[in-house]
Amino acid sequence: MKNLNRPELNKSSPSGPPLESTRGGPHIENSRDAIHVKHSPSESSDERTYPPGDVALWIFILAELLVFGVFFSAYAFTRASNVELFNTCQRTLDTNSALINTLALITSSYFVMRAVAAIREDKSQQCFQWLLAALLMGFVFLVVKSGEYLHHYDAGINLRTNLFYMFYLSLTFFHFMHVILGMVILTAVAIKATKGGYSAAEHTGVESGASYWHMVDIVWLVLFPLVYIMH
Amino acid sequence: MNQTGTKTIYAVRPCTFVYIVLMTLTVITWLVGKAGLHGLEISLFVLSFALFKGLLIGDYYMGLRGIKGLWRWVIIIWLLLPGSLITWAFVSAS
Repeated sequence: MKNLNRPELNKSSPSGPPLESTRGGPHIENSRDAIHVKHSPSESSDERTYPPGDVALWIFILAELLVFGVFFSAYAFTRASNVELFNTCQRTLDTNSALINTLALITSSYFVMRAVAAIREDKSQQCFQWLLAALLMGFVFLVVKSGEYLHHYDAGINLRTNLFYMFYLSLTFFHFMHVILGMVILTAVAIKATKGGYSAAEHTGVESGASYWHMVDIVWLVLFPLVYIMH
Repeated sequence: MNQTGTKTIYAVRPCTFVYIVLMTLTVITWLVGKAGLHGLEISLFVLSFALFKGLLIGDYYMGLRGIKGLWRWVIIIWLLLPGSLITWAFVSAS
């Protein structure tokens, strides 16, 4: 995937201590068709106009968010016509498991963010370790959620049981699949990181993987109260 | 906060502080569910927590804070759109 980012994007951490310069001042590359100016990392962060990571992946993230947004709205408006059914069925859900899953995803997002901060300081090994910790949290999510699905399966609940369970199962399973995809991406990034494939100067892959994982987290943060708590 | 040369040393990293806030809001949301609290106001209160948490993730973890232009607003707009529709649906159902 072509990196559409500006070079100056990798210069500072979104949080935590500012990083020291890893490249020199403005650098001019003269190609046949255009002159590309690479800005110094010391340039003000106020000039950043692109998010960290690959812009193409961000467009994919927006498409995913749009789908989840439509799903959430459809759930809410269907509930409006079936309030009693939704409230009754909602009480059968395990909020303890949902809490564990939410805490696991928030923690994994934190670890991923620390992995990005580590690679921005050229610490590949630390980056790898943070990613491994994030993957562990993702695994916790999958195990707990699978336990919930098994419980529903044993109770004879499926997509055809009623409207609530149709929404609940499809929404959460759709998200479940995104967690798996996010873990595949993070695993690929972690493997490359442990081989020294990223540096402070070039770590677009880490930022892209992190952005995708945070998207998965944000979706769950809305899904959790909507499906488990709000009635 | 203490500045040494080009590095800024924080007593608690902003991202760690955000993490603590996220965990706290999540536990409060869970407690609301455990206590069996319900109704429109409670639902909207819990939803506002979720949207705020999403905003924190976008700003501090995704690194959108400080970015100029459209990209700064993508997560905020996404949170507001479904958030408004969900609010509308819950208000109409009450």
